[in-house]
Amino acid sequence: MKRLLAIAWVFVFAIPFSAPAAETPKKGGGLIVCVGDEPPGLDPTASASAAIDRVVYSNLFEGLVKVDRNGRLVPGLALGWEISPDAKTYTFRLRQGVRFHNGEPFNAQVAKWNLERGAAPDTKNAHPEFFRQIEKIETPDDSTLRLTLKDVNALFLFQMAEGDAVLLPMKGYEDTAARPIGTGPFRFVEWRRGDSVVLERNPNYWNPTLPYLDRLTFRFIKDPSAQVAALKAGDVDVLGWILAPEIARGIARDNRFKILAGSSTSEVIMSTNNKAKPFDNKLVRQAMAHAIDRKTVNELVMLGYGTPIGSHWPPITPYYVDLTKKFPYDPKKAKELLAQAGYPNGFSARIQLPAIYPYAQKAGEVIADMLGRVGIKLKIEIVEWGFWLDRIFKQKDFELSMIGHAEAWDIGIYANPNYYFQYDSAEFRDAYQKALRATSEAEKAKWFARCQEIVAEDAVNGFLFVSPSLSAMKAEVMNWWKDYPTIALDATEVWWNK
Amino acid sequence: MLRYFLTKLATLVVLLFLVSLTVFTVLFVLPGDPAQIILGIHATPESLARLRADLGLDRPFFAQYADWVGNLVQGRSALSIHYKMPVFELVASRLAVTGPLALLAMVFAVVFALPLGIYAARHQNRPQDLAVMTFTQLGLATPEFWLGILLVLFFSVELNWFAAGGFPGWQADAWGSLKALLLPAFALGIIRAAILARLTRSSMLDVLREDYIRTARAKGLRERTVIYVHALRNALIPVLTILGLQLGQLLAGAIIIENVFFLPGLGRLVFTAIGMRDLPVVRDVVLLMAAAVVFVNFLVDIAYAAVDPRIELH
Repeated sequence: MKRLLAIAWVFVFAIPFSAPAAETPKKGGGLIVCVGDEPPGLDPTASASAAIDRVVYSNLFEGLVKVDRNGRLVPGLALGWEISPDAKTYTFRLRQGVRFHNGEPFNAQVAKWNLERGAAPDTKNAHPEFFRQIEKIETPDDSTLRLTLKDVNALFLFQMAEGDAVLLPMKGYEDTAARPIGTGPFRFVEWRRGDSVVLERNPNYWNPTLPYLDRLTFRFIKDPSAQVAALKAGDVDVLGWILAPEIARGIARDNRFKILAGSSTSEVIMSTNNKAKPFDNKLVRQAMAHAIDRKTVNELVMLGYGTPIGSHWPPITPYYVDLTKKFPYDPKKAKELLAQAGYPNGFSARIQLPAIYPYAQKAGEVIADMLGRVGIKLKIEIVEWGFWLDRIFKQKDFELSMIGHAEAWDIGIYANPNYYFQYDSAEFRDAYQKALRATSEAEKAKWFARCQEIVAEDAVNGFLFVSPSLSAMKAEVMNWWKDYPTIALDATEVWWNK
Repeated sequence: MLRYFLTKLATLVVLLFLVSLTVFTVLFVLPGDPAQIILGIHATPESLARLRADLGLDRPFFAQYADWVGNLVQGRSALSIHYKMPVFELVASRLAVTGPLALLAMVFAVVFALPLGIYAARHQNRPQDLAVMTFTQLGLATPEFWLGILLVLFFSVELNWFAAGGFPGWQADAWGSLKALLLPAFALGIIRAAILARLTRSSMLDVLREDYIRTARAKGLRERTVIYVHALRNALIPVLTILGLQLGQLLAGAIIIENVFFLPGLGRLVFTAIGMRDLPVVRDVVLLMAAAVVFVNFLVDIAYAAVDPRIELH
């Protein structure tokens, strides 16, 4: 017997719904959203860049499934799905009558072609493994797609909801990076390089009531003070992703605007090279965990808008376990552990902070002070992003660094001993495999929790806080996402109350 | 004149060759992999390797260099890694912002600097002179991004006369585009005016001590004529040199001011391109900037000859 998973109860959440607006949404108007980074092309199936997803995900492109504002999986181009008892076969019922922006029809054949394209030997996809785990693709009819996986994967549906797995048209896909064609509520108008990407309402969207907006423009302004000036002068309507929380305070004082302070999936960690001395010693890492006062870090760096964490898992993601009490702030204990590890007088180390992220530099300074109090003297070095990717991420030539890991469901990086922080634990790999292969919710919850605990116990990295999803907008902008449970600025349901 | 021109041309070619080799080498050894930056930190090694091959980044140094120069000489444009469009088109669209911005800034600079400099020189060591010198001292000490932000806060946020930044595009809205350049050009121009005003003043003072000025005054010419006809022409020569250098600098990208006003100009293009390791763009733009500086200096040399008949070009 097949077990039908109604979508609404795939996951149960601790987070309450954002209160539905009392008024009925009004149609019309254009919205200008300011984002900091201009995307490197507009093809999410050829790059994992967050800047691309923030513009096109769920606005222009859709996958079989999507992640909604509450972090749940909801139907995209699939109306629903059934999972076989062995959790290897997924049968998707596809939406009928959907057309791409260029008029091409969407059906099971198109979906199959897209999945095969992702798995092809010459694929440009940043995550070919999402598609290569599929052993067999069957299309019994135009509106049914049956996928059989090589192995059970608890994260399969979430992977199908990533930007890497959005569906493109079979004919009009070649120029996706410059002229994207999707099925989403908005269609592409123009990319003015260095300035903006303009989208307009898709009049043939499969949901006739959406979107509410006629026009959606993403404007690229990097400088935080220029962003605020643009909002206050009325050049933009929304600041989609504020990196510097002090800006939010200033805007909040002006009643023409409102601030939404939610949570994101970006864990800010003091990444630690687990193979470099003395950080290869677990006691040293645990000592550092005791020496860091997460609450104060969050206050000083994020003005309290962030959420302290004790492991590599965002609180808005299912199966979260609160491990913030695992290593409470205790400098005395930290000193004891250091002495046990053979460093009664502490030691000196270098922390390299990427220049493009203001939070990383601020957090680095705060941490340097806190570690200094237990005798670990940090030398701060600010490095350029290309340098960070090359020396720290690729060559693993570092001691400590600071970075936000933005992707949801990314704890699997701890199962890879070659990942830049070089954590090598058979116990973790085993737990992670068990979590991935779990066929029941209870099993998944148990093993994903275990993964979080192992990483916390080993104090692999300094787990600091989850970045807030801070957005600012004109008071009349309704229904903007408060939390960002996936990397997207989805404006499908946004409307103007004026 | 012809010989002068040919020498200049030869210098330009040699210079561009050296610049191209330097730029290429620096970008080659610079840490940071364009493929990694495009694909993000979670990309598989396999995807990275494939993209590197697609971009031609796996080929040897000289092969890559030869490709680039070969394409340039034949007038073929490479494709920007970030923007997925030909670099030449991209640069042309950015020059349509930075070119007018630089010119407008120079107009502001000259309009303020010359009268102020002359005025100060005529009232040397008197309160008027002191006032001008204080003003220019302030101008020299002011960072342009700060002035830019102040202008935005006052004229855009407070008064709402101008947009806080951005650029609508010449075709879409010519008047709006000109308006979009006014504040940034003013911020750039006023600070350059400070330098030029001081230079004009001291140059003017030098000239005013010359014998021929005494002669001009002795023969009873009006002071106005002495200053504006006889003195100014000679006093302008050093001013022109600096003006040329500054214009070259501005064309080479008003990087900071373009970021403050989020103008899609050449400076911001190169700034973003370096961060993204968009190598085809960085190479071509740096080469273009070098060429622009040389070309502007060439124009300045010709201008010398125009203001001073004693100078001949060979």
